Amino acid sequence: MLRLYRSLLALYPAPYRREYADEMLSVLAQVEGNAAHATAWSKISLRTREATGLLLGALVEHARYITGLPVAPVLFPRRSRMRSEFRFPKATPILMTVILVAVIMAIEKAKAISDSLPPSSTPIPPIQPEHFSTVTTFLVILALAFSSAVIGWLVTFTLRRSGVQRFSDVHTGANEVRKS
Amino acid sequence: MNTASITEPVLLILLSLAKRPRHGYAILQDTLEMSDGRMRLSTGTLYGALNRLLKEGWIERYDGDDQSRGKQSYRLTAAGRRNLQVEVSRLKHLARVAGLRVARKET
Repeated sequence: MLRLYRSLLALYPAPYRREYADEMLSVLAQVEGNAAHATAWSKISLRTREATGLLLGALVEHARYITGLPVAPVLFPRRSRMRSEFRFPKATPILMTVILVAVIMAIEKAKAISDSLPPSSTPIPPIQPEHFSTVTTFLVILALAFSSAVIGWLVTFTLRRSGVQRFSDVHTGANEVRKS
Repeated sequence: MNTASITEPVLLILLSLAKRPRHGYAILQDTLEMSDGRMRLSTGTLYGALNRLLKEGWIERYDGDDQSRGKQSYRLTAAGRRNLQVEVSRLKHLARVAGLRVARKET
């Protein structure tokens, strides 16, 4: 495992490696030694965390050397805030799954009804406008308007629950850098 | 680095060094203990933060008794300790305000 860590350390910029590589390898050896009797899952988790940390560290340090900035935005200070503020309600995936299953079942049922009916040779005549009365037309329009309003309200309600409106309150790290 | 940009891992590292000088592995163990096992820093993250704090003059290398390979210790500088105190005062104020707000909400 130390061989893998050593190869990941080789990804760091040379000056950084000269300064910290031996020290980091020693710490990694101690971490590995401490986890010798841990469960297999703990070892996998630990090694994944260490390898990811080394990879991200190498990326950040290279970015720092390339850009020439005195201090890179190490540890991504604002990363966790987005996670806590923007999330869908837990019921959304369940509701979406139920709706999807209902739609599939309705399609299957319609197919079954269609197959059970005897084939008809007489074509269905086109709907003539005179079949509709003024009152019926008015009621249909009213129903359509009502349905549109309900759908609009549902969309707005879902967006509010998901926290999308909070995007306007998000302060980026870039803004803070400019201010400072 | 101003105190406003201190992240939780960096704060824990500074708190770990506030008590006494420590080497890398001891800092990892101490941060884990201070956060009740919640904050498991990787070695890459730890040394990224140490490098940043060294460059900013918040910490310095300390040659203690054990100077074997990989046992380099670090300690807070006077400036680092002062900045940490400012940050701790800010957090105390925030915690006090949060406590008052939550208490008002409950009544």
